[in-house]
Amino acid sequence: MRKLVLSAALATALFTQTAHAQEVVTVGIVTAQTGPLAAAGKFQMNGFNLAVEQINKTGFDVAGKNYKLALKVYDTHCSTSEGASAMQRLISVDQVSVVLGELCSPVVSAEAPLAQDEKVPLVITVPTAVNLTEQNNPYLFRINAHNGQLTKALVDYILSADAQPLAFIAWNNDAGRGGVNGVKALLPKDYKLGYVGYFNVGEVDFSSHITNIRNSGAKSVMLLMDEEPGALAIRQIRDAGLKVQFIGTLAMGSDRFLKTLSAAYLDGMVQYSAFPPNAPIERIKNFNEAYRAKFNEESHGFAAQSYDAVFAVVEAMKKAGKVKGGAAIRDGLSAVSFDGVIGKISFDNKGQASPPVYITEWCHDGTRKVIFPKEMSAACGGG
Amino acid sequence: MATAIFEQLINGTMMGSIYVLMALGMVLIYGVMHVLNFAHGVLFMTGGYLTHLFFFNLTGSYPLAIVLSILTLALIGVVLEGVIFRPLRDNLRMQIVASVGLILIIQNGVIQLWGPRALQMRTSSVSSLVKVGQLSFTMQHFVIIAVVVSAVTALYLFLTFTRLGTAMRATSQHPEAAIVVGINPNRIYALTFMIACALAGLGGALLGPLFLIFPQMGDAPMLKALSAIVIGGMGSIPGAIVGGFGIGVVESLSTLVIPSDYRDTIVFAILILMLLLRPWGLFGVRVRGEH
Repeated sequence: MRKLVLSAALATALFTQTAHAQEVVTVGIVTAQTGPLAAAGKFQMNGFNLAVEQINKTGFDVAGKNYKLALKVYDTHCSTSEGASAMQRLISVDQVSVVLGELCSPVVSAEAPLAQDEKVPLVITVPTAVNLTEQNNPYLFRINAHNGQLTKALVDYILSADAQPLAFIAWNNDAGRGGVNGVKALLPKDYKLGYVGYFNVGEVDFSSHITNIRNSGAKSVMLLMDEEPGALAIRQIRDAGLKVQFIGTLAMGSDRFLKTLSAAYLDGMVQYSAFPPNAPIERIKNFNEAYRAKFNEESHGFAAQSYDAVFAVVEAMKKAGKVKGGAAIRDGLSAVSFDGVIGKISFDNKGQASPPVYITEWCHDGTRKVIFPKEMSAACGGG
Repeated sequence: MATAIFEQLINGTMMGSIYVLMALGMVLIYGVMHVLNFAHGVLFMTGGYLTHLFFFNLTGSYPLAIVLSILTLALIGVVLEGVIFRPLRDNLRMQIVASVGLILIIQNGVIQLWGPRALQMRTSSVSSLVKVGQLSFTMQHFVIIAVVVSAVTALYLFLTFTRLGTAMRATSQHPEAAIVVGINPNRIYALTFMIACALAGLGGALLGPLFLIFPQMGDAPMLKALSAIVIGGMGSIPGAIVGGFGIGVVESLSTLVIPSDYRDTIVFAILILMLLLRPWGLFGVRVRGEH
């Protein structure tokens, strides 16, 4: 009888311990997994999944309990209505206390008011439109640099280079138009601008822009777009015989991008980068190795930013002392401060982080070098 | 300015050629079966993916990959007509719903099979450049124009001088009378879908290497082709040709005077004007009830 009681007690204890060890906190994810931005959404999900896998190896402790993370993912197709619907569902049906992700600035504009109304923080990891964190929404946080921060670094480079007249081809959305306006606002009033053209997501024919760039006599062209249209635009511009200096975005500074073109197409092109994956910086090297081991490809800025966002949420939960309750996690996010992969992670009173921005340049052999900030500059192969 | 106009004329003719291929397929289906196949864009996209598949995994030859892709699309056309559109033949609304459903099924199927990222296919015709003064075009620009002109000529000859083509026109003009003279409408409908899908496949196979092959690559050409057949006249083959080339050239030239992002606005403004002022289109026949 005593043996039986002891066995039962032991079994109960073991069961309780197991149950504690397996407590799971679900975090909501909104991203595009299908549609024109599905490729960018994949990088975002890779970052989230890698972070969750690493965190769940040991779990994380909050108020004496050990937790693991799970993700509840909704595909917003980069559509405002789908985004708002997914956000509402995460809050009311899945009852998550924090939501991460989103790729598209306009979709954030639909999701953020719901975050504020329902007091569930939304941490965005990719959208760059400046105005998103200017809405006095205490429940919206952005881990990545916005267009203003990114373009400030690029404009410093442009002013030091012989780039006038400067032309633009940009997405016809908040990100593209915001980017163009951001650059214009930072340039001196007498700086010569060439053609400014916008294209819609999914458009692939840049011939009309090329004719207009040629007509404007531009010396350099800034491409405010993602990898796929960027590769198309560069190829079409070079094939049309235009010898302009390319200035690109962070999407255009990766080996993946090189594979879509060739070293000859990219030689001399500069781009801002939130995350030069080959930089000789320990935190970046470690992340790149882990990413390559899991996904068998070079890491990506979107993945790094998304990876850091998961850790920011865990830090916020630790600071809040609880894993549920949007208001408490919001307060926790406001107070986080840690060294992430992309740099120091802490949010200002608008919910905006200020990670470092780099400028990289493509070398003739298909490698990259870091040319800005000067103190972090690296030779070909280190960008 | 003359250089810019010339450059945009070539670019516009090239894109117009693609719209013509799409518009001809849609107009054939509409003319013979009175179905607006909104899934034509995804069949165009499937042509791009199949050409990529055959080129890299089977033939290594671009022309041969195009032929295989066209044949596969023709077969897909026969299957779609027999399995989906024939049972819904007398229900126009259901046919439209089915074609919209096909878009989602095929697009997401392609994402499952090939992944969401765009595919590249650098053929020699895309890598070779043709210099014209200070301008430069890929050889593919001219390949597209030449192939489309040949395809349109072949279609014209087929419809005008062959028994099957005559049977197609007869079925289009008066299905009951066609049955009376011994034409099997089911065969004609299958043939129509087969030719239309093959033309869409050819369009995807031609444009894919020049730009990219991705799940939404047929969306814009489908909308432009739809505009072309409305502007040209629903059911009119000359209308589809003039409408397709016209849209390509007008949208290209318009960007010399208005911002590029308003390019589509011009096309759809013309479409709305045409619907208001001449709803039967440039080459269409005015029917009772239309004003």
